[in-house]
Amino acid sequence: MTDGPLIVQSDKTLLLEVDHPQADAARRAIAPFAELERAPEHMHTYRLTPLGLWNARAAGHDAEQVVAVLLAFSRYTVPHALLVDVAETMSRYGRLQLSTHPVHGLVLQATDRAVLAEVMKSKRTAGLLGDRIDEDTVLVHPSERGNIKQVLLKLGWPAEDLAGYVDGEKHAIELSPTDPAKDDKPWDMRPYQRHAVDGFFHGGSGVVVLPCGAGKTIVGAGAMAKSSTTTLILVTNTVSARQWRDELLRRTTLTDEEIGEYSGARKDVRPVTIATYQVLTTKRKGVYTHLELLDARDWGLVIYDEVHLLPAPIFRMTANLQARRRLGLTATLVREDGREDEVFSLIGPKRYDAPWKDIEAQGYIAPADCVEVRHTMPERDRMLYATAEPEDKYRLAACAPGKMRIVEQLVAQHEGDPTLVIGQYLDQLEELGEHLGAPVITGATTVRERQRLFEAFRTGEITKLVVSKVANFSIDLPEASVAIQVSGSFGSRQEEAQRLGRVMRPKADGRTAHFYAVVSRDTVDQDFAAHRQRFLAEQGYAYRIIDAEDLEGAADADGAAGRA
Amino acid sequence: MPDLGGRSAAALTGPSVPTPLQHAAGEIWPDQPREREVRRNLARKIVRMATFSDSIRARSDEHLVALLTHRPDLASPSPATLLSLAARATSRASLQRATNTLDAAHLEVLESVTVLDSVGEHITADRVVEAITGGAPEEDVAAVRAILAALDEMALVWSPDGTALRPAPGVDEVQDPYPGGLGPVGKAHDVVPHPDLLAEAPPGARSILSALTWGPPIGRIPAAGGGPAAAPTRWLVQNGFVKQADAQHVVLPRRVAMALRGGRTHQRLSCAPLQPAPGTLQRSSATVEAESVRAAQEAVRLVTELIGAWQVAPPSVLKSGGLGVRDLRRLAQRLETSDTTAALVAELALVAGLVVDDGDDPASYSPTLDADEWLAADVPSRWAAIVTAWFATARAPWLVGSRDERGALRNALEPELHRAWVPRLRGEVLDVLAGAPSTALSPDDVLAVLRWRTPRSVPPIESVVALMAEAEVLGVTGAGALAPGGLVLAGVPRQTVPDDTVLVELTTSLAAMLPDAVDEILLQGDLTGVVPGRPSPALEALLADSADVESRGSAITVRFTPSSVTRALDAGRTGEEFLTELALHSRTPVPQPLEYLVRDAARRHGQVRLGVASSYVRVEDPALLAGLIDDARLRPLGLFRIAPTVLAATAPIGQLLAALRERGMAPAMEGPDGQIVLADRRTPRVRVPARRSRRPGSGPGARPVVRLPDRSTTPRAEREDRSARLAALVAALRRDTPAPDAQAATGVDAGDPGLASVAARARGAGEYRHRDSVRGSALPGTTEPVVALGMLREAAADGREVWLDMTGPVGEHQRRRVRPLRVDAGRLRAVDVARESELTVAVHRIISVELVPVGT
Repeated sequence: MTDGPLIVQSDKTLLLEVDHPQADAARRAIAPFAELERAPEHMHTYRLTPLGLWNARAAGHDAEQVVAVLLAFSRYTVPHALLVDVAETMSRYGRLQLSTHPVHGLVLQATDRAVLAEVMKSKRTAGLLGDRIDEDTVLVHPSERGNIKQVLLKLGWPAEDLAGYVDGEKHAIELSPTDPAKDDKPWDMRPYQRHAVDGFFHGGSGVVVLPCGAGKTIVGAGAMAKSSTTTLILVTNTVSARQWRDELLRRTTLTDEEIGEYSGARKDVRPVTIATYQVLTTKRKGVYTHLELLDARDWGLVIYDEVHLLPAPIFRMTANLQARRRLGLTATLVREDGREDEVFSLIGPKRYDAPWKDIEAQGYIAPADCVEVRHTMPERDRMLYATAEPEDKYRLAACAPGKMRIVEQLVAQHEGDPTLVIGQYLDQLEELGEHLGAPVITGATTVRERQRLFEAFRTGEITKLVVSKVANFSIDLPEASVAIQVSGSFGSRQEEAQRLGRVMRPKADGRTAHFYAVVSRDTVDQDFAAHRQRFLAEQGYAYRIIDAEDLEGAADADGAAGRA
Repeated sequence: MPDLGGRSAAALTGPSVPTPLQHAAGEIWPDQPREREVRRNLARKIVRMATFSDSIRARSDEHLVALLTHRPDLASPSPATLLSLAARATSRASLQRATNTLDAAHLEVLESVTVLDSVGEHITADRVVEAITGGAPEEDVAAVRAILAALDEMALVWSPDGTALRPAPGVDEVQDPYPGGLGPVGKAHDVVPHPDLLAEAPPGARSILSALTWGPPIGRIPAAGGGPAAAPTRWLVQNGFVKQADAQHVVLPRRVAMALRGGRTHQRLSCAPLQPAPGTLQRSSATVEAESVRAAQEAVRLVTELIGAWQVAPPSVLKSGGLGVRDLRRLAQRLETSDTTAALVAELALVAGLVVDDGDDPASYSPTLDADEWLAADVPSRWAAIVTAWFATARAPWLVGSRDERGALRNALEPELHRAWVPRLRGEVLDVLAGAPSTALSPDDVLAVLRWRTPRSVPPIESVVALMAEAEVLGVTGAGALAPGGLVLAGVPRQTVPDDTVLVELTTSLAAMLPDAVDEILLQGDLTGVVPGRPSPALEALLADSADVESRGSAITVRFTPSSVTRALDAGRTGEEFLTELALHSRTPVPQPLEYLVRDAARRHGQVRLGVASSYVRVEDPALLAGLIDDARLRPLGLFRIAPTVLAATAPIGQLLAALRERGMAPAMEGPDGQIVLADRRTPRVRVPARRSRRPGSGPGARPVVRLPDRSTTPRAEREDRSARLAALVAALRRDTPAPDAQAATGVDAGDPGLASVAARARGAGEYRHRDSVRGSALPGTTEPVVALGMLREAAADGREVWLDMTGPVGEHQRRRVRPLRVDAGRLRAVDVARESELTVAVHRIISVELVPVGT
């Protein structure tokens, strides 16, 4: 029994005591094979998963190293069964290898014939594997490289992909040394961004997880510069596509002519092409009409922005892109549909991850104060709620009229600070806009109008914006420092993370960002809020909960603290 | 395989002519005199000085006590005389029982003795040593001698004259058909072919012979078409090397095989299986202890959970006894474990006396009062209690879920789910594990040792696997190797109930290994808390009441949810009290979200109030109600106000109705919808009060008792009693056994056989009921069925003749002089000396047996 910072539980979770002097060393040592699950203030929880262990194998770590790390840092004796299991799991990796045969092309090779036999017998591999070349080798249809990897992963015999990547068409891309937006001052990537780019390149393909506002676009630009090939960037929507374009023009040597947009409005294919998920998944007469984009050029790099939103059809298309380097960018790998595993197997394992609080502590994202304001509905509304049909309950609770006054109060408290009010229901938003005298942006707002309003918000011309969920992703509002959430998509955790991300870009004066969620007490609204907050709480952002009635007092206390 | 070609010409002439190997060893065992002895024996003319019964009678008292200790079945029921003891010792059942307890080496030595005896050799210890070991290595020689002494002590071999050895009569019948891989004995005058013949043998003959030499001695004759082996086989049969057993098989006769083996019966003395090579199976003691502690805590937790679950909702007992499949599955879900483990946990709770079939109608399994005592004890004591219960139980939980012979599913807690051999096997398994400290033996390794220890009663692998799995679940082993607690159990003598010292040792062994308790919880903003170690009892109780466990192990992670916090409030705390208690265990202040959660739960707690009432009074006029409540005459109705216009009553509706009518009111009864219903004047039905869930054990004293380490029993003293008892028995036997001369005399002068037969029947029937009546009998040994059979077995073994009084086919009395050949399966096979014919007699027709004095 040592005095280490790590407690290894028999259910394969690792508890890391954050305040322990060896905590940092332990964190670095377990990062390659354990998934960070929760990072609240005292004890971080990591989990050992087969996928994580296999990724560690893929990155060149072996079972002995993993066991040695666990033994070295563990406070109590490590469960024997867990050590056995780690060794057993890791030994499953690489029994099968995908490689390129000089004559036959892509083949699956086995170092263990029994495994190959088992895999070939499985119904799931039917149609993916071709003829058997010899006892240890079987043909794989090149187009099924992604599928076979996914299937093998599900069968528990992950294949080591040695078939390599196509180089793609070369295209010189470099990071520009100066930042034109900041009077051409020199700039450089932040250390964690550099680590992320290196981590990605070392691993080949994979996902980089960084909090909103931590500069994921720059990681993308860095990866493009490093690969210097033609690049396909897949983003969620047109606004986001424009922002990627602006950011690339600002951060790299790419010129306007080299960057094409492939969206509903425009269909340019250039050395660097930015396409939306939507256009790719558009079907006409039952066929995906824009699929040829994927083969339009010999892409050397494919970047998936907001990979946690990747729609299922794109998953399937991606399965065919296995020979190209793939980079996924996201703030959270939490998928409400639970398809995290598919992201891992088709795009690649997580290559870089850091607790949000760590990046905040380094000053790269703004510290945020999260507050849940509980609003007690008046008697009449409660009766209405109690007798409402179940399907109407959430809407009733989320749109409680009382919330209006609370939002007004909050806005008044932060008068002059750039403030976003975010909601789910359009009529509620319209009403709020009227009350606050602020413009409203919804899905119906034209792209031009949106961009105009965002620009005005950015320059400080207007300080209040009411937005629907269109603003959840990939809009760049640099100086928003207050966000007020009045209603959300039920209990979506990743939405919550995205919304908090709206206020987390570092502020010029180092101010704390504020994130409020206004919730109706004793309703489903409160339950959904609790569910949404869980992710942030696990990232170390604990919510304070205050009653709407105490809002006045709380504001005073804040003010007093600020003055003191 | 010996090379026949290289053998000296003499090798095949007699069974014991020394081979080159024997010459090498000849300095140690000069065998010339023995050879002469053997030749004389071959003719079966040797004059035996004594019989097996004589040898029993000649034993010293200590020797007899030793015999009875080794073969306890001989002493119960107590035999009447030493003769009947001797007879019982040669009975098939007793011999089988005795040989079942022998290990492989003992069996080999015994085989060797019977084989040598069967071919008519004069056997000495030296000869046996040579036949098995060939004289080397030294430790095997010593081992064979020690084993011979042990077999003698068990009366499986005996010595007519102090140096020669003979197998006990009947031993050959309970052995393999081919002892030592040797074929049938054949006739004494069978000629062993001359080895020179082999020089003319067609190619292949030698390899056939060497394949058969060390057994099995049966070979298959190539099919009619022939093949390469057909010709040599034919040649071997023609020249008498092998015999044709039937149309398809040949067999190598014992004498030929012995000759080919150079007079050896075995190639070597088999030794206990080697321990598997250390390495991956080696476990450090720290690992073993840690795993054992983990399992022990978990086992205690599971049993505690089971009591917690069953005290609220006791599952019902099936009509056929046992726990229903659905209840077992529910238990498994509650315990978050597999059905198998859940069945084990339920069985543990049952054998430890923590739950019991309450015998009610309908019956259910309820916690006993002892369960409360158990729950109040600390973890090591609780663990010791369930482990000792497990150690002693004959129940076989691993059979749960399997099907019996009639295809019915076996349920957990089923009364039939016990096997008498389970405790013995459990002890054996622990013993094997104790023999390999810090090594994780596999069930196969353990079985290999058990197979060597008792080749004649090998336990099924499934039960070994299951018992080892149980030991692991209980923390008796850790990571597959025996843990300190298991060592304590392995030290408990076989077939005894563990006493209090064992309980105390178990308790201290676990207490010494348990990590220090942690009294601190790290509370976090995401409403979780982590206890970085084993929680102290106070903290554990607090968390059990107020939080859901998310992860268990060296540390515990819990999550506070509105419903879990409500549980804490239900347990009687207020929100503030709960927060204070939490703060006591936390170094940091309680996080704001948690505090808010608790306050919020406290605010809602008790918002809805419930109460019990049997009827109510509803009146529009509050003043009228006020009058009712204050009326002294209505007090027995138990009226109380729950709203300005509603009174509730504890009295049933009929009583209320009558009382109000009596008071001059005109009450009307209403239904749930407020409609008036007709007053029903019949007697209201009685509501049965809810049954108490926990009750002292009922049923006729069948309830097992929880053993916590404070009671005292003295099994060790009992063991001493036992040897004293045996000594007393031996003394009594000797007193009641007539002197050999007297027996011989009375045996010869048996007089009227009819009379004897009546006496024999009376005694035979009475022996087990009234031993005393046999004492001083005039005809001991000759007519008692058991003794008569023993005598026949002895005579068969020694080739002696007897006078046989028997009932003939038509009920007439016959007296014949016969030479018994075999006593087997209720029949005597014998040669009638006068008529020179063989006869078979059912033993129940035998009236009496009498030895024909040698030389007449």
